[in-house]
Amino acid sequence: MLTELLRVALLGGLLTIDRSAGWNLMLGQPLVGACLAGALLNPGPEWEPLALRIPLGVGVLLQMLLTDPSLPAAQKPRDTATAGVVGASVGILCLERLHPYLTVTGGIVWVLVGTLAGLLAAMAGGWLEVGMRSGSQDAARRGEALALEGKVAAFEALYWRGVGRLFLRGASWSVAATVAGVAGASLLLPNAAHFLTGPRSGLLFAAVLGVALGAGYHAHVRTPRNGFRWAFLGALVAAVVLLRSKGGAP
Amino acid sequence: MTDLEPVPIETPPAPRLRTIDFWRMTYCSFYLQALFAPERQQGPGFALALLPAIKRLHAGAAERGRALARHMGFFGTHPVLSGYVLGLVARLEERRAQGAPIDDAQIETAKRSLASPLAALGDPLFWVTLRPLAGLAGILGLGLVSLAGVAGPDQRVLVCPLLALLTYNAVALHYRVRGVPRGYAMADEPGKLLHSLRLGPLKAVFERVSAFLFGFLIVLTLVPMTASADPAGQGAMHTASVLAPFALAWIGTILALRRWPGRSVELALAAALVALVVSTRV
Repeated sequence: MLTELLRVALLGGLLTIDRSAGWNLMLGQPLVGACLAGALLNPGPEWEPLALRIPLGVGVLLQMLLTDPSLPAAQKPRDTATAGVVGASVGILCLERLHPYLTVTGGIVWVLVGTLAGLLAAMAGGWLEVGMRSGSQDAARRGEALALEGKVAAFEALYWRGVGRLFLRGASWSVAATVAGVAGASLLLPNAAHFLTGPRSGLLFAAVLGVALGAGYHAHVRTPRNGFRWAFLGALVAAVVLLRSKGGAP
Repeated sequence: MTDLEPVPIETPPAPRLRTIDFWRMTYCSFYLQALFAPERQQGPGFALALLPAIKRLHAGAAERGRALARHMGFFGTHPVLSGYVLGLVARLEERRAQGAPIDDAQIETAKRSLASPLAALGDPLFWVTLRPLAGLAGILGLGLVSLAGVAGPDQRVLVCPLLALLTYNAVALHYRVRGVPRGYAMADEPGKLLHSLRLGPLKAVFERVSAFLFGFLIVLTLVPMTASADPAGQGAMHTASVLAPFALAWIGTILALRRWPGRSVELALAAALVALVVSTRV
């Protein structure tokens, strides 16, 4: 577990730098974070098909749910960078440890567990991020004082320490949220094994997927002008592609 | 040469920025928001990114410090487009170091006059349109690889994030890499520079592509879902009852987000809870 948590910490730290320090290379998006976590936390060949599908499922759901079409100033504080990492890590680590306790086979339960963990991590991480801004404010004031004293090298060191602090915040939050998620699932799921039937998991998954697509509609179709017309065209093209691919199948 | 002839005094050459300084500024601009706070926003990051130019143009520590402190006040623009402002300010600082009569207020005015429109155009383009579009492209990779029927291990775990990263960075990195040199070259024509970026038309194109791809995704999701809802062939009523939770959550979210925008996380948690409660009753 320790090596896995180290990987989670490294990934969470890097993705936080991408999102908060200004790289903005899209690494901090939930889909990318979840898939990277999935690639790093491979639990072994016996879990092979599920271990790759769980981060994908978690990443896709979180990507749609955490896409906010508002301008940044109007957005709710959400830590999207670590949400994907935490969600996928919780899903995979729970799969490895708790799968034998459940009667439901297949990865849908773990996708659900990972997605819910990711959503909670995004909310709590957002509050944590807002709370850390006062530290940046103090550092900026110290930086100005150093510059006025002509201590340019000290200002640079102060700034890079700020980048390091972001990395540490992302790393520690990712590990803490992952441990909390796995611990919570370890307490709840074995006791609720009889309750988590296949149809019930399917119902929960359908509800979350419905909300995700509703959020996607809001982001991609409702906000742009003439969005519905273009979405209809896309649906038409997809229908034609599907019909042709079915027609060509033996 | 006689003793009476004046001895030419060697004056130091006027300081000029070099290409390596532009690259260093571009690199530092990738850390623009590390000390982001409401009071100054990206001000400290802007000062750090301008530091390679300041070091080239000013010799003494005190002079460098003063130049640095001048740029540590409030600054806010779109991070991807910050290079254009950095280039413009570096050009003005260079002229000032060469002796041109440019004061602090002129530099500050020029900086803000470019930073504000870049923020106003960049935020809707990159945050509201391109980033969701790139995420959608990544999600679509899930369906497209399945359609292609690629054998072997599940490669979608690599294909999906790669598609998202390529879609976003093909546009964003172009602006980031060109920002500083272009801002420097067009420092005298900020209006022309702004117009040449074509941010508005690009946003309109991405919006349409985004809506088109979402329509595509809906069909790719609904068709297999409908097909798998009734494996025993029990009829349309059975299919409708299986798909009802999904449809209700979808329509409910569309309606709820009109009233409470940005609350999709809370809605997802609430939907999961309602589904759990309903499943115990039915």
